[in-house]
Amino acid sequence: MSAMRVDAKVVMLGKESVGKTSLVERYVHHRFLVGPYQNTIGAAFVAKPIQVGDKVITLGIWDTAGSERYEAMSRIYYRGARAAIVCYDLTDSSSFERARFWVKELQNCEEHCKIYLCGTKSDLILGDKNLRQIDYHDTQDFAEEIGAQHFETSSKTGNNVDELFQKVAEDYNNAAFQYMTEEKGVDLGLKKDSYFYSCCHNN
Amino acid sequence: MMSQRRGIHLDQSELLCKKGCGFYGNTGWQGLCSKCWREENQREKQKQIQEDWALAERLQREEEEAYASRHQKTQSQPAVTPFSKFEERKTKEKSSKVNTVTKFFSPSIKTPPKKDAAPFDPHSSPSPSSSASRPSVDSDHATREFIDFLKPLKSGREVFKQCRAFTESMVYKREMGADELSECVQDFYQNLSERLQTQFKGSSDQVETVMDEVEKYMMTRLYKEVFCPETTDDEKKDLAIQKRIRALHWVTIEMLCVPVDEEIPEVSDSVVKAITDVIEMDSKRVPKAKLGCITRCSKHIFNAIKVSKKEAASADDFLPTLIYIVLKANPPRLQSNIQYITRFCNPSRLMTGEDGYYFTNLCCAVAFIEKLDGQSLNLTSEEFELYMSGQASPHWPQSAGASSSSPGSAALTQVHKGLDLLTGLGERQERVMEKARQLESDLIDWTDEVEQKVQSVLESFTPEAQNPAAATAGGTAPAPSGASAIDSDNVENELLPPPLQPQVFAG
Ligand SMILES: Nc1nc2c(ncn2[C@@H]2O[C@H](COP(=O)(O)OP(=O)(O)O)[C@@H](O)[C@H]2O)c(=O)[nH]1
Ligand SMILES: [Mg+2]
Ligand SMILES: [Zn+2]
Repeated sequence: MSAMRVDAKVVMLGKESVGKTSLVERYVHHRFLVGPYQNTIGAAFVAKPIQVGDKVITLGIWDTAGSERYEAMSRIYYRGARAAIVCYDLTDSSSFERARFWVKELQNCEEHCKIYLCGTKSDLILGDKNLRQIDYHDTQDFAEEIGAQHFETSSKTGNNVDELFQKVAEDYNNAAFQYMTEEKGVDLGLKKDSYFYSCCHNN
Repeated sequence: MMSQRRGIHLDQSELLCKKGCGFYGNTGWQGLCSKCWREENQREKQKQIQEDWALAERLQREEEEAYASRHQKTQSQPAVTPFSKFEERKTKEKSSKVNTVTKFFSPSIKTPPKKDAAPFDPHSSPSPSSSASRPSVDSDHATREFIDFLKPLKSGREVFKQCRAFTESMVYKREMGADELSECVQDFYQNLSERLQTQFKGSSDQVETVMDEVEKYMMTRLYKEVFCPETTDDEKKDLAIQKRIRALHWVTIEMLCVPVDEEIPEVSDSVVKAITDVIEMDSKRVPKAKLGCITRCSKHIFNAIKVSKKEAASADDFLPTLIYIVLKANPPRLQSNIQYITRFCNPSRLMTGEDGYYFTNLCCAVAFIEKLDGQSLNLTSEEFELYMSGQASPHWPQSAGASSSSPGSAALTQVHKGLDLLTGLGERQERVMEKARQLESDLIDWTDEVEQKVQSVLESFTPEAQNPAAATAGGTAPAPSGASAIDSDNVENELLPPPLQPQVFAG
């Protein structure tokens, strides 16, 4: 059982039933399933290779248990993540409050983790504009303020889903490149100690 | 929706780093997170690291010298006898080990290594001089495999020397705390993989493959020293969680909302396999192998869910089911194993990959079990206490009087409680007696069975030409029908010499 090598850990965060699992399902399996069991489709962990330029980046996508009963332990989940897709339901303003909470958590605890704000179920507001509870421009401002990317997606139609994950992979690739050149600089300065160069947050 | 909310309502601050950085703290790190713990200990460690490095360098120099001198002597010096070698080892244990090993990388060797060939094995001859570091048969095997793996690699010899020197140097650090040991190993992993990438131009996949073998070699050799070391309270924690899980024996599938139907044979089969795998984790030495057990366990869980629900499982189904499996399995030395994996596994595997995902879930499951209370199972705290104390069980509802205590009188309540307790005890005694009776009858059955087996064995050994009279002759034989006792009369017996008589010698 040799599992696929994974370059970066990407965690899905957000309130229960905002559509985390559906988003992964749509991206990885190109499908959106309806029916009584739809919130249980999809695997909990997926390794997904993505072409970025002439390179292939493999994202390890971690879905998390949505139930609030496990919320106290969710920090164990996002530790070491290079990207977090923080989901909120465009038709549910309370879910955006939860999203703000996650953003704060991540800013405090995972400085190497890039944040992607993702408004889900955009197909619903396409049908009925009144359903929208989260303003696009407000969110855009918030995203810029915190240095995050901002997407609105629909797992039902697939709108913007590939773009989101593609951006995650590209950003990781750029950051990894930058990171490596930074490291070189450090190495030159501290040649002797570089053998035991240590940092706990940069796997 | 919120009213149905259950959860372990633990105080976040309990879990967080004492420095207030927002990370999770760890009691093993004095309540700090790994980052703050590192910073806190940086200066002290820097000194230690310098010393380690000096030691590693010294060992390497010794190796080179030994290697060089060995090369000059190869023609003139035949095999060393174990005894003279023993003397040599007493003073130069390190270098003599290298000699045998480096031979493998030198092109002059013509015969391929025999898998169990003793001469190759630097540790097989008894060597009382070695410390606790003396590797066992397992680690010798690991060394051999490691060398076989590295041989075709351009940088193989270099990698082996580094790993060997480092592993040896770890032995001098036995006094060190577990987390410092962990940090040394992690730093070594990181540095080596960086060098493999930059100096030896390995691809990420190649580096990972090599690092897996490095981990296997090093941890097989260091396992005894660094698994559940005395410097930690890992063992205490093992016992605590074991006791805790035993006390939670009454928790049902329904309470945890586990979407698994054990009535279905394939599901119960998967559940049993999952339990077996998570228990098996303790028997593995290498962190990666332990992780493999968790991953296999998880795959069985996914199958159990899939078959029960007739569709693929999600994270929402998986975690509760894993909690259920851990409760059922009560895996041995659970905390020690988690700590060991956390400390000594390749970090990339633990943090990003699929194994890491399942491992993280296991950590969550354990945290959940530790903090679990009535609310997390949708029970009142009274029910929870009753079940925990064994006075009642969801399987045999508590006696009728339990809920009907008369309002005014505290004394009466006391009496009722006492009565309940007695009823509970009575029932428990009843069950114990029942079990005892069952055991007794089982024992009787078993005796009968054994008797029958003995008889049938005896029958199968009876010579065909046996005198039928012999059967009746042995009146004391336990089974009458046609069986022959060993000492029964036999015609051939007359041909045997008389038995020897004891003789008395004058003193
Ligand atoms: N219309 C619409 N419904 C969605 C979308 N994404 C998810 N849903 C629905 O929202 C519910 C919860 O989705 P799920 O992925 O299980 O949420 P999770 O709890 O965050 O994993 C399900 O009923 C989905 O069908 C979407 O893009 N459009
Ligand atoms: Mg989900
Ligand atoms: Zn901290």
